[in-house]
Parts: sequence; structure tokens; C-alpha cells
Amino acid sequence: MSDLKITNLHKHYGAFHAVKGIDLDVPSGEFTVLVGPSGCGKSTLLRTIAGLEEASSGKVEIGGRDVTWARPRDRDIAMVFQNYALYPYLNVKENIAFGLRARKFASAEVEKRVARAAEMLGIGHLLQRFPRELSGGQRQRVAIGRAIVRDAILYLFDEPLSNLDAQLRDDMRVEIKRLHQELGRTMIYVTHDQIEAMTLADRIVLLRDGVIEQLGAPLDLFERPSTRFVAGFLGSPKMNFLNATLSPDGVTLADGTKLSLPGRKTSKAGQAVILGLRPQHIAMAGKTVAPGHERVPVTIELVQPTGSRVQVTMPLGGTSIVAELAAHDVSRPGEKTHIDIDMTRAVIIDPTTEKVI
Amino acid sequence: MPAIAVHPDRNFKYWLLTPAIFLLLLVGLFPLIYSLIVSFMRIDMMDTDTSFAGLYNYANLFKDSRLWWSLAHTLLITAIALPIELLLGLAMAYLFLEKMPGRQIFIALLVLPTIISPIVAGATWRLLFDNKYGPINQILGWFAGERVNALWTINPTLVYPAIIFCEIWQWTPFMFLILLAALSNVDKSQTEAAEIDGARFWRSFRYIVLPAIWPVMAIAILIRGLDLFRIFDIIWALTQGGPGTKTETISIYAYVQGFKQFETSYTAAIAFLVIAILTIVCTWAIRRMGLAK
Amino acid sequence: MSALPFHRRKDVRLAWRYLIAVLLVIVFVFPVYWLFIISFKTPDEIFAFPPVWYPASIQFNNYAVLFKDGDAWSVWNSLVLASVSTFFAMIFGTIAAYSLVRFKTGGENLAVWIISQRMMPPVAIVFPLFLLYVYFGWVDTYHGLIILYTAFSLPYVIWMMRGYIEDIPLELEESALVDGCTRWEVLWKVVLPMARSGLFATAVFTFIFAWNDFLFALVLTRTEVTTYTVQVTHYFGGQSNFWAKIAAMSVLGTIPVFFTVAVMQRYLVRGISMGAVKG
Repeated sequence: MSDLKITNLHKHYGAFHAVKGIDLDVPSGEFTVLVGPSGCGKSTLLRTIAGLEEASSGKVEIGGRDVTWARPRDRDIAMVFQNYALYPYLNVKENIAFGLRARKFASAEVEKRVARAAEMLGIGHLLQRFPRELSGGQRQRVAIGRAIVRDAILYLFDEPLSNLDAQLRDDMRVEIKRLHQELGRTMIYVTHDQIEAMTLADRIVLLRDGVIEQLGAPLDLFERPSTRFVAGFLGSPKMNFLNATLSPDGVTLADGTKLSLPGRKTSKAGQAVILGLRPQHIAMAGKTVAPGHERVPVTIELVQPTGSRVQVTMPLGGTSIVAELAAHDVSRPGEKTHIDIDMTRAVIIDPTTEKVI
Repeated sequence: MPAIAVHPDRNFKYWLLTPAIFLLLLVGLFPLIYSLIVSFMRIDMMDTDTSFAGLYNYANLFKDSRLWWSLAHTLLITAIALPIELLLGLAMAYLFLEKMPGRQIFIALLVLPTIISPIVAGATWRLLFDNKYGPINQILGWFAGERVNALWTINPTLVYPAIIFCEIWQWTPFMFLILLAALSNVDKSQTEAAEIDGARFWRSFRYIVLPAIWPVMAIAILIRGLDLFRIFDIIWALTQGGPGTKTETISIYAYVQGFKQFETSYTAAIAFLVIAILTIVCTWAIRRMGLAK
Repeated sequence: MSALPFHRRKDVRLAWRYLIAVLLVIVFVFPVYWLFIISFKTPDEIFAFPPVWYPASIQFNNYAVLFKDGDAWSVWNSLVLASVSTFFAMIFGTIAAYSLVRFKTGGENLAVWIISQRMMPPVAIVFPLFLLYVYFGWVDTYHGLIILYTAFSLPYVIWMMRGYIEDIPLELEESALVDGCTRWEVLWKVVLPMARSGLFATAVFTFIFAWNDFLFALVLTRTEVTTYTVQVTHYFGGQSNFWAKIAAMSVLGTIPVFFTVAVMQRYLVRGISMGAVKG
């Protein structure tokens, strides 16, 4: 059964077409992340699902019920907002209980649920405090608590972690993932951060300019992007893009370097393409060249250690590429060495359509 | 910032406005339309002639020297009292701008005149101005060295100073409070930077402070200007427009025409004239100053 | 003065400021003092020459007379009229302001029109209204004046509340909508508590406007709902015999305002400065 079904949804703001015909089906219990650069329509889509924005056309069904024109309160949803949306004049307990009280729950039931949610989020000791007395992370926990005390079909998160500092964001990400596993509820999560998307999602919906660019499991999108945009958006450091020309058994880079593409035959030799290489799929040359890999001589240009790994910049094929190597493979800038490129995972993109071939 | 979706509650926003709009139409639009209609008739105490009389009343407005004098009196009071209130209020705001012990108490005491009802203010000054038992003449006598017997509310040359003094006494604190709030919000680092650059007080006021407080000051001037234009209570309490019609303002005159002479149609014409002038002036001023935003 | 060291110059400056401040307070507060003091004087003291600067003893006879004659009832009338009209003006004005801010209802034109109503000269509208009230039989009734005061305060309330409501984060309201509130509940449970200090400040000023009104009450009341301001003017006349009554009545009518302002001072300071800053 699907908890959320969106059919051909459009949203206009005057002349601006923010959402351009989205179809989406979210099965029960799934954690779906809407991700994309700012202005891609992800927040608008979420707010339309919540009923905070009116759909211009199309259909939204939640739990099998058409709610396109229903009030937010009649949609059976709970939502966590970016700026927490805590009521400064209510203490933590009443903030969490707000939705239950609005829905006229018996007070014994309210007590029970608030206590359970507070325990789950580790904020039981804060219940009598007011929002202004809490830290950012604690506020975010209260905001999440206010959503999970409710028995909603759908839980919506609108960039809930974007106001937290990096450390807290990592902690809260774990927390949200754990909550999803414990509760098994259907959650829709909006973010612009591809790491959040990758780590949290059962399924990623990658949006661009109001349309779904690609949709699928995080690893699918990472390994098999359908367009250059997806390939470039996911992954850190970013995928390297090199101009190349197709040859019968591989590609030729701008500087004449020939790289073979194992298992791929083409009849379009001579066509200009873009070769996409993930930094993670490049390694220092080993004793032997592994099957499907290509060994290339390079000169190290720049070295950026990140701890366990190191990001190395080097010129290749008329541009600079980045490789992510093991920390102890580090070379010094200026050093001449060899790298092995895993060509089985290389991506070939048509430069005119920007689609992956 | 997108607004909340309205669809299922499409009429909600209109329900919210309904009572306010209804009441505003009652006190705003009804009198305007009524005045307009009645001003074209000839209704007075003797006669309830509701036939169309054309511009009869409006023609009379132009011939009515008492009306123009009342307008002149009103403008005279406004032209003198408003600048004094503004400058004095500004000076007082500067005096209390910096922190000093007991500042809050001083401010609280200075605000007292403004929250008193104008009619009580007028009554109070009536007592103060009394030629024999009032303290004003007594105090003036100390300085003059002889007994002063000024008839403040009767002597034609003294009534205006009396009215204006009372008006200033009551409303300068209002200016003071608003300007104090505005001055407190001026970015200190800017004026200090100007001081370091060697700017004199006047230059820093003219080019930094004044532009910063102008929006607030403009509103204060507008509000006080309009209040002065329709001044009624204080004069009613002090002189009732007397001696004769010497201190009759437009409001007093309209009141006398309507409720003492029962010149219904003529009063309606005056009312329409005043409403029309003020509506145009205000709408223009509000738009001009961007107050609606 | 430039010869003095810096800290001495500051002391001199402060001394001057105090001197001017004290003089100002004397000028501005003396009339209030005089009003209060007359209300406690005996007739002999009131009509003494030269004037008595402070009474030998405080006596309340002037007030006792007002209560005995029933004139003091007019203060009660003022209280009822001002409180009830403030209550309604706050409700109607706040929800109207909310509509203007959140839904941009009527655009800028409606906002300008509403604010321009604040400028209506009372004398121009009171005459047509008087005839309307005569027709409806509303002259000298509580509801007649309450409706008028409510309506007349609305532009001010809407103007002020607009500023306070703009400061409420939209997310708070959206969150409440998702959590199960109706639009009206959002107003009641989110908007009003969030605008609390603004509500109080605005309410105090609205109350004072209605409380201090004279012209409307003069025209639209006779004997039943006479307000204290009208009552004060009943003592005006050629003779000075009523001085004690004028003073005592004025004081009776002034004390509630002083009291309200003193109690609500915390909100007023914020209200004035915010109102001033926001315009």
C-alpha cells in the first residue's frame, strides 16, 4: 500500500512555475528524501503535500485518500520545520503536547505519549523548560518530539538540520535514522545536503527545476546516475568530468590519452562525450593493474588530507581531476606517479542531452 | 515568503475583516455620503426641505467669513504649536537620551500631561489661568514686582498664548516620547564615527540622525498636525471659542452650526469639505511617506 | 570649561542635565499638582488671595459631594464605555490586521484607506452620526457610544497590530495548522499569545482614547451615560463656585488612567518604541 501518491502535480507562483508535473508514489514505511539545489521545488513540493501551499493542478493522495484540497489538519500528517517552530510561551511539555491537545486527546493519553516521545528523544529532563532555555540541538529534538507524539500517516521534515552546526547535524542524522527504524513510519524529508540524502534515504527523489531528475535507492543513484546533473550532485568530492571522444573500444581524452571501456562496444566512434570518473574510483597504482582498470601517469598538483583519506588534485586530459586516496598513499605536490582508474564504473555522458549513455 | 494556502478556508480572510470594515464604513463612509447628500438640500431648524438645492450651501461656504476666520484660527494654532512641540520635544529627547540615574522617573513624570484627557487639561489650565485665584498671575507678579491681573481666557490678545501654551504643555511630552524612542534606535556607531571625523553636532544631526529618525518624526508630525487641525476639547474647556468668535476653530464652528444653530445642511457641507480635504491630504501623505508598508 | 579635566567636564554636564530636567518636571507636573491639590482644598483655601500653594490639611469633602450627588457615576460610565469598546476594538482590529498581514487582503489600498480613517475629524462625522443615532434611538445608550468608540479606535488598533503580527514567524502558524488547529484556533492559540505585549500596549492606548473622549460623549449622551469628561464641563460657568467639583471630578477621571499606565508601563515602553520604529 502506498501512503503518499502524487499525480501530475503543478505549482505556479504567478509566472514562476515551481513544480512541473511531479508523479510520486511512496510506499508505506519508506524514508524518502527530496533533494536538490535551492530553487528546485523540493520545499514547495513538501509544503504542497502538507497543504500549506495550494496545488495549481494535479492530485495528492495520503493513505489512499484524495487530500488535494483538504486542510493541513485533515491530512493526517505531522511536520518538523526548519526553524523548529516552537511556541516560546509554552514549555517543552506543552510544545510536544500541542498537537494532541488541538486534537482533543484525553489528558492521561497526552501525558503518556509525551513521556514516551520525550524518553525516545532523551529530553525527559527538559519538559518543564521553555524553548529559550534550550540549545539548538535540544530545540530540534523537541520539534521532532512534537511530530512523533502524533499518530500520523506521513511525517514531513523540512530541512530540519540546516540550522545546526556540523557536529550536531551528524548526531541528529543518526537520531532521525534510528527513529525511523524504531517507528517504521513513512517519512518524507527535504534537504539540500546530499550527504543527508545518501545516509538517511531508503529512496532519493532528486529534483531539478521543478521536475524529478532521477529517483531510486541512494546507491543506485550514486552508481548509475541517469544524467550529468545527478552524477555531479551526489558524491563528495564531486565526480570528475572530462571531455573525450568515443573510440571503438574506449575513449580518447583531449590530450590523446586512450582509455579502454571494458565490456562496452560502440558504433559511434568519433562522437564527442563527457567521461565521468568518481574520485573514489581512482587509486594509486598497485603492483599489478586490476582487470578493467587503466594505468595513467600523472603529476600531483595539490594534496588535501581529510584524516583517513586524502584528496589529491592532478591534471589529466586537459583538465584537473580529484582523486580520493588512502591517507598513506599520499604523495607530495610535484611528484610524478601513476594512478589506476576503475573504468568499469566510469560514466559516459552525451554532452548535448547531458544524459548518461 | 509564500502565504499559507487558502483554498479550503477561502473566505476566512474576509470573515476576519468583516466586523472592522462594517464599523469603519459606519463611521467613515456613512457620514461622508450622508454629508454629501444632505449638503445638497436645505434642511435647517425651521425647514426640512429635502428637495435638491444644488450648490446653495457650498456657495454659502465661500461667502461665510466666520468659516474662513475659523479656518485661519485653526491654522494659526497649528502653525505655532506644532513647530514648538516638535523642537521642544526633540530637545527634551536629547536631554534624556544618555543614561542618567533617575531617568525613568523623570520620563514617567513628564509623560503625565499627555495621558490626561484634553478636557481635563483645559479645565486645569482654566483654574491655573484664573486672573485672581490662579497661580499663573501670581508667579508672573513675582517677576514683575507688582500685581498682575491678566485676563487670560477673556483678553483677545492673551487667549491665543493661553490656548497654545496649554496645547504645548499637553502634547510636547508625546513628541518627546516618540522622538526619544526614535533617537534611541539610531545606530550609535554612526554618530560616534562622525564625531571622530570631527563633525560638529549640527552636521552629524543633519546628515546622520535626521535621516534615521525622519520616518518616525514624519508620522509624529502628521498625527499631531491632524490633531491640531481638529482641535476642539482644549478650546472648549478654556474659552468655548470666545471671546466672541475670536478663538473659534473649524471644529468649534462646525459644532456650533450643527448643534447650536441646527443648520443641518450647511453643517453637512462644512463636514464634507473638511472630510474631503483631510482624506485627500492624508491619503497623499500616507502614500508619500510609505506608511502603508 | 575646556580647561577642566575630562571627568570633571562630564560631571558638570550631568549637573546641567539634572538642573534642566528638574525645571522641566516642575513646569510639566505643576499643573497636575495644582489640579490634585485644589480637589483637596476647602472652599476658603481655593478662593484665597494670594493662592494657597499647599492645603493645610487633606480633606475629601469635595469628593464626598460628588458621590452624594451621584455625579461620580459618570466615571463608572466612562469605565464601562472605554473598557467594553477597547475589548471589541482589540478583537476586531487584531483579526482584521491579521487578515491584512497574512493574506494581503485588499492589498495596499485597503490598508491605506483604513489608516486614513484614523485622520477623520470627529466633528465632521459626529453630526451625521448624531442624526443616524436619533433615528435608531441610540442616543444616550451604552451600546451607541460603544459602537462609536470601537469603530473610531479600529484604525489605530489595526495599524499597530499589523506591525506586531508581521513579527510572528509564519512557521509557528503553519506548524499549528499541521498539528490540527483550525484557522480560528491558530489565531487564538498562536497569534494572540505571540502578540501579547503588543496587544497590551495597544489596548492601553485604545482605552485612553476612549476614556479621554469628549466630543462624541457631548453630542451623543444626555443624562444616562454621561461620561466624566462631559460631567466636568457641566461645572463650567461664569461663577467659580464649582472649582472644587471641577478639580475633584477631573482627578477622579484621571486616576484610573494613571493607574493603568503605571501597571502596564512595561508594555507601554516597548509598545511606543516598537510602534515608533516600525511606523
